[in-house]
Amino acid sequence: MGNYIATFYSHFGALSLYKELQAAGVRAEMMSVPRKLSSSCGICVSFDCDDVGAARTFADAGIELEGLYQAHDAGFAVILQN
Amino acid sequence: MSADSNSEDLKSGSDEMLKVDNSNLSGWERKESRLKIFHVLFLSAVGAIVAITALTLTALGNPANMGFCVACFLRDIAGAVGLHSAAMVQYVRPEIIGIVLGAFIFAFARKEFKPKGGSAPVTRFVLGLAMMMGALIFLGCPLRMLLRISAGDLNAIVGLFGLVAGIFVATLFLKKGFSLKRNYDQGKLEGSLLPIAALILLGIVLFAPVILLFSIEGPGSMHAPLLIALAAGLAIGALGFASRLCFTGGIRDAILMKKIPPMLWAFVALLVVAFVGNLILGTFNLGFADQPIAHTDGLWNFLGMTLVGFSATLLAGCPFRQLVLAGSGNPDSVMAVAGMIAGAALMHNFNMASSPAGIGENAVYGFIVIAVIVVSIAVCNTFFDRAQL
Repeated sequence: MGNYIATFYSHFGALSLYKELQAAGVRAEMMSVPRKLSSSCGICVSFDCDDVGAARTFADAGIELEGLYQAHDAGFAVILQN
Repeated sequence: MSADSNSEDLKSGSDEMLKVDNSNLSGWERKESRLKIFHVLFLSAVGAIVAITALTLTALGNPANMGFCVACFLRDIAGAVGLHSAAMVQYVRPEIIGIVLGAFIFAFARKEFKPKGGSAPVTRFVLGLAMMMGALIFLGCPLRMLLRISAGDLNAIVGLFGLVAGIFVATLFLKKGFSLKRNYDQGKLEGSLLPIAALILLGIVLFAPVILLFSIEGPGSMHAPLLIALAAGLAIGALGFASRLCFTGGIRDAILMKKIPPMLWAFVALLVVAFVGNLILGTFNLGFADQPIAHTDGLWNFLGMTLVGFSATLLAGCPFRQLVLAGSGNPDSVMAVAGMIAGAALMHNFNMASSPAGIGENAVYGFIVIAVIVVSIAVCNTFFDRAQL
């Protein structure tokens, strides 16, 4: 199980993914974008997933996705950036 | 970057991987919890520093309850360069130059100077203009609103309700899909133009002030010493960038996430420290009447800040945040700041700006027009495909 953070170009994107994850029974949380990931403000979605592929599938379906990151022992690793 | 390269990044410790000292995933979550506490403390400290700085600038000469006011100060600069002829509000505020340069220097030093723009620039100009119109009806940006509250100005409490109302309505559009669409990487020169302009303006102030207009009476004539104001701006600009301080974003996030975001602690700290400071300095005066550079028209104090809250939420940042972002290389925010300067000129040239006597003669007409425009912007960018408009 890994923890992933999806960032978006719009608030609607974050809200949409959050609702989608909740509907799928995935533990998810809306939060301010970690300062280490961006100097811009806004909200992101932190969620748990079994593997990177599943996380990407969720994130790819998101609206105006900016990036997907995995929280790891050594920090945040870039999974994808648009 | 593909998922396949992920593990390689982790092993190589590439630049795209941002380090935090955790030993496992659950450990990361525990660390994240500790980081949240640190974040709250940091933001509280930033709020306190802003309050102390504002009180100091006021004690050194800035107008009462106006240690910092991004809207008022941009309006003063607009007057100083001849964009409006309101003789009482013309001065090149070094605080504004300092905020722009402070954000720029800090972003550059931290290697976070990565200009991005191209997201609906003209729309952002109009929203910036609307934000300034609302601020000059109320007489202050959200930062000054907090400073006014801390000094006992109850009119600003009415403004706070208006601000929250405007943010709340805007979040309804955010939830329905409002977006000004994504931004794109820009060249470093594009992101440096506003800081360069700020430096040129500073040079004119220092070496050729005769070409500028300076008030000899009224709020524009009241100011802290130039170098101290500049230093204060530099510090607050850097802190603003480091903390992402935004006086509407915290309220917006609280509404959207249904929990108290760390940013709200900056507001609380600012209010408490400024309140105590005003008590110590003897500048606390509870009431509606006889408040410095404020009027008592409750309806328009409310509606003015409603317009600010609504426009700022659509822009994703209050006037202070827009200025900091503009300084740190965000051309979209430069457009919003340009809109604010144009809005200040409009408000004074067409007799719409408020004064302690009340709202401007034409303020109602101006408000109706700009309200229709910003609501139309919200509707069009929520319910229609922007590419098809």
